Amino acid sequence: MATSWGEIGNKLILQAKARGEPIIGQFELTSRCNLRCKMCYVCESPNNMSVVQKELPAGKWIKLAEQARDAGMFYLLLTGGEVLIRKDFREIYENISMMGLSITIYSNATLVTPEFAKWLGRIPPAKFSVTLYGASPETYERVCGNGKGFEQALKGIDFLLAEGINVDIKTTIVRGNEYDLEKIGELASKREIAFGMVNYISPRREGCYTDPIGQRLTPDDSLELGKRAYNYFKRRREEINSKKDIYDDNCITPDNTKPDIDKISSNKSKEEVSESLHDKVVDFDYVQKTKNAFQCSAGNSSFWVTYDGRMLPCGLLNEPVVYPFDNGFLQAWEDLKKLCREVPVCKECEKCSLKDVCGPCPAKLKAETGCFNKPAPYLCELAKRRKTLKMDA
Amino acid sequence: MKLKEGFMLRNIAGSWIVVPIGERLVEFNGLMTLSESGALLWKLLQEGADFETLVKAITSEYDIDEETARKDVEEFTSAIREKGLIV
Repeated sequence: MATSWGEIGNKLILQAKARGEPIIGQFELTSRCNLRCKMCYVCESPNNMSVVQKELPAGKWIKLAEQARDAGMFYLLLTGGEVLIRKDFREIYENISMMGLSITIYSNATLVTPEFAKWLGRIPPAKFSVTLYGASPETYERVCGNGKGFEQALKGIDFLLAEGINVDIKTTIVRGNEYDLEKIGELASKREIAFGMVNYISPRREGCYTDPIGQRLTPDDSLELGKRAYNYFKRRREEINSKKDIYDDNCITPDNTKPDIDKISSNKSKEEVSESLHDKVVDFDYVQKTKNAFQCSAGNSSFWVTYDGRMLPCGLLNEPVVYPFDNGFLQAWEDLKKLCREVPVCKECEKCSLKDVCGPCPAKLKAETGCFNKPAPYLCELAKRRKTLKMDA
Repeated sequence: MKLKEGFMLRNIAGSWIVVPIGERLVEFNGLMTLSESGALLWKLLQEGADFETLVKAITSEYDIDEETARKDVEEFTSAIREKGLIV
């Protein structure tokens, strides 16, 4: 019986969700970034000393990872800002790579050097996920304020691939790069690596110089993009499926009655494509069964820690907040779960006929409207367009 | 018998998982799930247990005859040897 890495992972996440264990951790190691993306929700200047002073030192991150691991964390995302901007990134990574975790790094790849890639290739993460913001220097200049970033990112990706590191590419589509989607996809296809698109831009979480709302697509433009994306990803899936035999997993047939290896699963990414990169383990009956406003794993089996040490259900939110560095991880986790259960469900969203295509998310509602339980006009309009798209498909 | 260094046995959300750590990630960047009794054997192998100790552990812990236990332990150790996990 073939069992993929993803299937095993989904099973573990569902088990953790049922047990209320924090299997997914997300550490925002810094809010600083060397790019100036207009739509980013957390991006301080690289040399902002007041921000540097607020960033937690390596030792604290390492200790927190250990505590979270002991409480059940298995998947750990290291993200920013741009994580490679931290001078002590290697110290943090080397220590946590010894903890028995599946680590993913989010990066723009512009700071990856051959020497860095060689170092990382000796202790590779499960995945090094690169966001590309365009398919040309012109688009990078427009969206990120740095035209050179395009070539730097591509070089970074190729340095990582040369060391055998599992890389994927994703993109965030906004005004200014919406016509680059297919070209970015081809950059991934040429390298036979996975490609996905983030299809929601959140208002900024905290003050910086960006303008996410001003940069995101209108609902109508989003529908047009959705149609193009649907056709592109459909075609790519067909092409990938035609050569799927080269990606078979290495598995052993499980037999639970015997002392056996149930499954061995390679972590190597298949070349795959995905329109949306939101949480794959969503239970749409979950709200009704548990009365928990969060359908996904946020605050139930996953958590987010900001660069300055606040623990949140996910990166879109500023509340509910707890402080793991004051009372220890375990106490903070229990407090966070309790606070998340108190987040009100949006009654209008719950009754809405579009909820299946919308997937009401309290974090998005809060980010959009300032309230957890108030419908957000932008999300409602997106859902209407998505419904149209689904019917056309 | 001794397991190679660089692997960590973890119980994650009720499942037994063997995870590579540090430089072992290069040759085995994935995960391996074990049954309950597989995890028992893995723990003993970490301590360098021999074949007879493994069989004894299985017959003590589970309602199983010695012949079946021997066969199962043989299969288990062969599988992990094939994967290059034993020194």
